[in-house]
Amino acid sequence: MKVHLRLNGAGVEIDARPDAFLLEVLRDQGLTGAKEGCGVGVCGACTVLVDGAPVSSCLLLVGQCDGCAVVTAEGVGQLAPHIAAAFSDHEGLQCGICTPGQVVSAYALLRKNPHPGDAEIRSYMAGNLCRCTGYASIRRSIEAAANG
Amino acid sequence: MARIDGIRKATGAAIYAADVQRPGMLVAAVVRSPFPSARIKSIDTSEARAMPGVHAVLTGEDVGPALFGRRVRDVPVLAQGIVRYVGEAVAAVAAEDRPTAERAAAAVRVEYEPLPAVLTPEEAWAPGAPRVHDAPWSYEGAVVKPEDPGNLQSRVGWQNGGDVDQALAQSAHTVDLVFTTPAQHQGYIEPQACVCEVGRDGRTRVWAANKSPYRLREQLTVPLGLSPERYEVRPVPVGGDFGGKGAPMDVPLCAALARASDRPVKLARRYSEDLMAANPAHASRTRVRAGCDADGRITALDVHLEWSGGAYAGYKPVPTVNLHGAHGAGSSYRIPAIRIESLVAYTHTVPGGHRRAPGAPQTVFAVESALDELARVAGLDPVAFRRANLLREGDATPLGDRYAEVRGVETLDAAMAAYRPVPAPAGMRHGMGIALYDRGTGIGRSSMALRAEAGGGVTAFVSFPENGAGAHTAVQTLVARGLGLQPAQVAVEHLSTDELPPDDGVGGSRVTASIGELVARAVAAYQSERPEPGQSVTATLEPGGTRRVTAFAVQIAQVAIDPETGRVQPLHILSAHDVAEVVNPLAHEVQIEGGVAMGLSNALLEDLAVVDGRVTAANLGDFKLASQRDVPPIEVVLVPGGLGVGAGNVKGIGEMGNVAVLAALANAVRDALGARVCALPITSEAVYRVLHGEAGQ
Repeated sequence: MKVHLRLNGAGVEIDARPDAFLLEVLRDQGLTGAKEGCGVGVCGACTVLVDGAPVSSCLLLVGQCDGCAVVTAEGVGQLAPHIAAAFSDHEGLQCGICTPGQVVSAYALLRKNPHPGDAEIRSYMAGNLCRCTGYASIRRSIEAAANG
Repeated sequence: MARIDGIRKATGAAIYAADVQRPGMLVAAVVRSPFPSARIKSIDTSEARAMPGVHAVLTGEDVGPALFGRRVRDVPVLAQGIVRYVGEAVAAVAAEDRPTAERAAAAVRVEYEPLPAVLTPEEAWAPGAPRVHDAPWSYEGAVVKPEDPGNLQSRVGWQNGGDVDQALAQSAHTVDLVFTTPAQHQGYIEPQACVCEVGRDGRTRVWAANKSPYRLREQLTVPLGLSPERYEVRPVPVGGDFGGKGAPMDVPLCAALARASDRPVKLARRYSEDLMAANPAHASRTRVRAGCDADGRITALDVHLEWSGGAYAGYKPVPTVNLHGAHGAGSSYRIPAIRIESLVAYTHTVPGGHRRAPGAPQTVFAVESALDELARVAGLDPVAFRRANLLREGDATPLGDRYAEVRGVETLDAAMAAYRPVPAPAGMRHGMGIALYDRGTGIGRSSMALRAEAGGGVTAFVSFPENGAGAHTAVQTLVARGLGLQPAQVAVEHLSTDELPPDDGVGGSRVTASIGELVARAVAAYQSERPEPGQSVTATLEPGGTRRVTAFAVQIAQVAIDPETGRVQPLHILSAHDVAEVVNPLAHEVQIEGGVAMGLSNALLEDLAVVDGRVTAANLGDFKLASQRDVPPIEVVLVPGGLGVGAGNVKGIGEMGNVAVLAALANAVRDALGARVCALPITSEAVYRVLHGEAGQ
């Protein structure tokens, strides 16, 4: 089936299997920032924005995204490079496998509230698991991005 | 300072094993056993082979009987007529895409004859128990003998000082407690993944989520019958390790598929496969007997550990094929009579592997819980009891190890000086718990090169992957310092196993210490040889040759407990560490914070829930990892000025943050409840049963 996406700002037409999930299609396009972690919508490593909302791309059939604007971590890196820089500067990542998803969620959070408090960050980011950092440095990174 | 890999990772540009694309690459899927113990009567692959897009279907017969392993070579590439755990690989498919591969795998018909299983060490030792392996002593690297109990993987023991039984019998106060921990996955977010490609030159190129590429290269030689030179392990970052990414895992199978199909093949696991069939932390059962005199001085400690080793021993890398955390039981204290025994059993469950200080979280949970209880039985404050019994400068450990310095008391005092009670929410009970851990720092075999660049900069070529802890950034920092350059003038590149002398991989809390010494040697060579742009110098490092150093960690946990529901709410964790030089203070702090969060998750949430030999927590919704909302504020306290190892004068930190947190939380729960929960994870249900007097399971 043909699916039309506005992918990181550019219109694309993709030929995809009807049973393909958005994650697989994005990765086949070479956009491997979104990772398959749990594969069941729990870990957040595959988080992308669909029409501005963060979603688990491992659970969304690509056909459901026809005509939608999709922004990946690669796109957020272009739109808001200061967020990736804040994660790098404040050790908001270690192994980095969850980080593209964290950055996408952080971008969505900061668009919703440019200066979120600690409790709001914890709540909003609870769907992005990180095994490395213990999360405090992720919050510090988001606070730095908010202030930077 | 910014991480050298930070922007690449945060913008999605970093390429991990599962992101690697090769021309013509196929995708693999694996057929796994649904039985913990069974004979394979037949395998019919005809339907799978006939499916369009399928290029190879392999069974045990196709790959042959060669075995692999990190120390004991007992793991078949595919089951050889017998399956020994739920999830064991029985057959594998390589196909044009993943849906085709998974459909073909589902079309492989396997007929099994279920056999009796042993699922716990207790069952494994029982007289007449079914044997997981007919002749475990016959495997290369095995440490057991024909006269040992049939399902023994490994047994180690130590004792020192006086007669333990006599000392316990004469003690004013004693405890005798049994602690259990379940199998727990390491929780890395990147499932095991690899890509294999056989080149025109006949060499196999491997991209793998593996923390020790040179060891992987050696480990591949036996199952595939080729010398190490026939493999090249390409550099990729590791998406979380925590001890779980050191085994060959699926690489031998993936390489066999690549040969059979004559195409590059990717084998990236689904997370559910990883939970059921990788190499999780061993389930444990530990009996601790401890005594003290009327003044609260410890008189004796007797620790008996039994580990469920799973179906294969091949995922443990150490010569003892045991869990070296057992050796540290009681190591922080003056104990005049000590005995430790640690037995690993073959069981028909997922093979056990290493996790962040292998065996130490379970051992320290048991021993630090028991000593906490001993203090309470003796009517003493657990903190004062520990302080009175801690090793002092000049003391050897109970097993006779001596270190350049002993700073347990300083670390405990620093932790207590910083400790502030956090009030529990209204209606909840407050508990405070403390626990200690100490661990030696060593250095490992490694190598690197420094190449002069035009314009005055250098490129550091390293042999070890970046598993996240910041090794490559540490190289950049130390090379810049050593040569008087700005960090931006130092590039760091991880090379393939073709390029540098061998390295042992990242782990064992030795990486920064090793890098400190390795970079010093490389810098010295660079300064004496003064290479022209484009030319390089190489430095190598071998283990040993350093002073014997240990580091202490003190964890203080505070929890609130809801007396109606049993809910445990962590309030605060204070993590105090005995340190020497700290190369990168921010990365060091985050290592501690991440370790503490992992320990908390181990203590309160994680259980693979093995039922009838089957992992039932088979997705990350059921196998729960701590999220943003589960981790309370973590306060890091450093006790600087210690003696480290190597030119960098460093003490290890990678496994200092997590280990004692399990016991600290258990002791905090004990403090709040007035009764002890001896089984992890400490769930609301377990606490509820204690509070409301219901019998345990």
